[in-house]
Amino acid sequence: MIEIKNLQKVYDVKRRQSFFHMTREKVVAVKDISMRIDKGQIVGLLGINGAGKTTTIKMLTTLIEPTNGTYSFDGIDAIANPDLVKRQINMIAGGERMIYWRLTAYENLWYYGQLYGIDNTLLKKRIEKLLQIVGLEDKADLPVETYSKGMKQRLQIARGLINDPKYIFLDEPTIGLDAVVTQDLHKEIRSLAKDQGKGILLTSHYLSEVEELCDYIYLVNKGELVIEGTKKELTDYVFARNRYVFSVRGMDKKIVCRLRDNLRMIDPESEVLFEDGSCTIISKAELSSAIAEFALKEKLVINELHKQEPSLEQAVIKLSKNLERKDTQIA
Amino acid sequence: MDLKVMWATMKKEFQIRLRAYPIDFMVGCILTSFYTTLGAYLMYHYFFRQNLASDFADLTGTSDYMSYAIVGSLLYLFVVRTCLNVSRRLITELREGTLESLMLAPFKRTSYFVGNMLLQTVMTFLETAIATVIGLFFGLRIHDFCLWKFVIATILSLYGFFGLSLILGCVMIYARDTYISQNTLFAAIFLVCGITFPKEYLPYSLQFLGNIIPVTDGLTLMRAAILGGMPSDRFCIIALRFFVLGSVYVISGLPLMKRLEIIALEKMEG
Repeated sequence: MIEIKNLQKVYDVKRRQSFFHMTREKVVAVKDISMRIDKGQIVGLLGINGAGKTTTIKMLTTLIEPTNGTYSFDGIDAIANPDLVKRQINMIAGGERMIYWRLTAYENLWYYGQLYGIDNTLLKKRIEKLLQIVGLEDKADLPVETYSKGMKQRLQIARGLINDPKYIFLDEPTIGLDAVVTQDLHKEIRSLAKDQGKGILLTSHYLSEVEELCDYIYLVNKGELVIEGTKKELTDYVFARNRYVFSVRGMDKKIVCRLRDNLRMIDPESEVLFEDGSCTIISKAELSSAIAEFALKEKLVINELHKQEPSLEQAVIKLSKNLERKDTQIA
Repeated sequence: MDLKVMWATMKKEFQIRLRAYPIDFMVGCILTSFYTTLGAYLMYHYFFRQNLASDFADLTGTSDYMSYAIVGSLLYLFVVRTCLNVSRRLITELREGTLESLMLAPFKRTSYFVGNMLLQTVMTFLETAIATVIGLFFGLRIHDFCLWKFVIATILSLYGFFGLSLILGCVMIYARDTYISQNTLFAAIFLVCGITFPKEYLPYSLQFLGNIIPVTDGLTLMRAAILGGMPSDRFCIIALRFFVLGSVYVISGLPLMKRLEIIALEKMEG
């Protein structure tokens, strides 16, 4: 298990005031983040407004040292023992970085395997297996510069798995990829966590991707943790009220008025909005059965009745707006 | 030292160069030595009219100026090529987007840099051999070749150049610049380390600068090994001094480079 507590990163930044004059200032990239990643779990790290996601990942991968806080990696103090951690983790970033373009796929994997000190016989087998998994076995001897974006990304995944890591950090892994490649990659990520028991931390700008893959989500803003939980916990927290979509044959304003009166007897604060022949009902109360009973009593033919689950994207957008509003008020 | 990483780095670099650089890059490097030698030849024959200062032989141990200058230009070629390659390694990794993946791996940095240095040494030996043949046409004469002195001079020179490369690499990665830093250093080496004239002709402050760059003593040792004119005990004293100076560069360069790796990774945040 990976566990970080109150992790902080402060950069000492030089700012040029004029050609000869520079000033130094402290920039807090990560103010206070605590999180946990279990084996076999896919954890999402979402950020709004320059949240410090990449800095957090770099601290977790021991590429940079935190200014404050603790980092425990399977019970080891990761800050004091970065080399022990490095053997058991890897990172896969989006874009076309992290691989040598002038080398072939096989040469890339071989070189990284040597850096991890993997035995040559084992390495040969692992390279063959990884190339097969990412579907590059036929192109293994071509220089990477001749690859498409998707192929480079697939090679990156193979590189990220070369040391058979226990934990994998995925930083925007599907950026710029087409839908088919993205889908394949999602399948692979899920399999790494669920079938092979690897702990995965995923950051992505695509909220639908996080929603689809992640078991648990951390939302950070300006270097601080705003909220954490499962997708349902997050949306429930942001959208404290239930939304129902309801429509019947021949729906008109009179039916809507009767429905409103009916529902307000259960929840006086409930709202019934009528638009395009369909109603959206917003209420803190659980109203599914009350709406169905109303339709039955009025002998209405129901076209549509369902509880609308808000998406993670809607929740993050709403939360982001709330935070912006809060910042403006403080300012 | 992790030999596996060292060998893998040599192999990787060789493969990259084989695909990345055309043959004219190598020709260009040999031409640098050719132009330096040509410049010295023209100055010596048409400007000085083969007249050397009376103290030249006392200071250098030889009265053969062309051989003195050609050995200097060959070693200059060597230092430029090795320094250029090793010092630019990390900044090249940074620019090509492979620094992070490299730093994620738990390997010893020394093996990585030594691997780069060794590959460059092998390649530069080849270039220097060609440049030496060209030098023969300009008047290079091997007066008093001593094998053991040559071996010591070569090993210590590689050690000193390696240390110098590390420090230059640190400057490059900190300033995120390659051209200004490398060209300033190479110009300084050319002017104060005794490439084509004895550094003793320079003001004391520049002589001091020459003494603390781990090229000057290497050049003195190499000339002593090829052209002679230096007693063995003096050779050993300079060799020892050169080893200490090289060690200062290596010992301070390696941890400094590790620190600067972190700064480079932090700077990637913007």
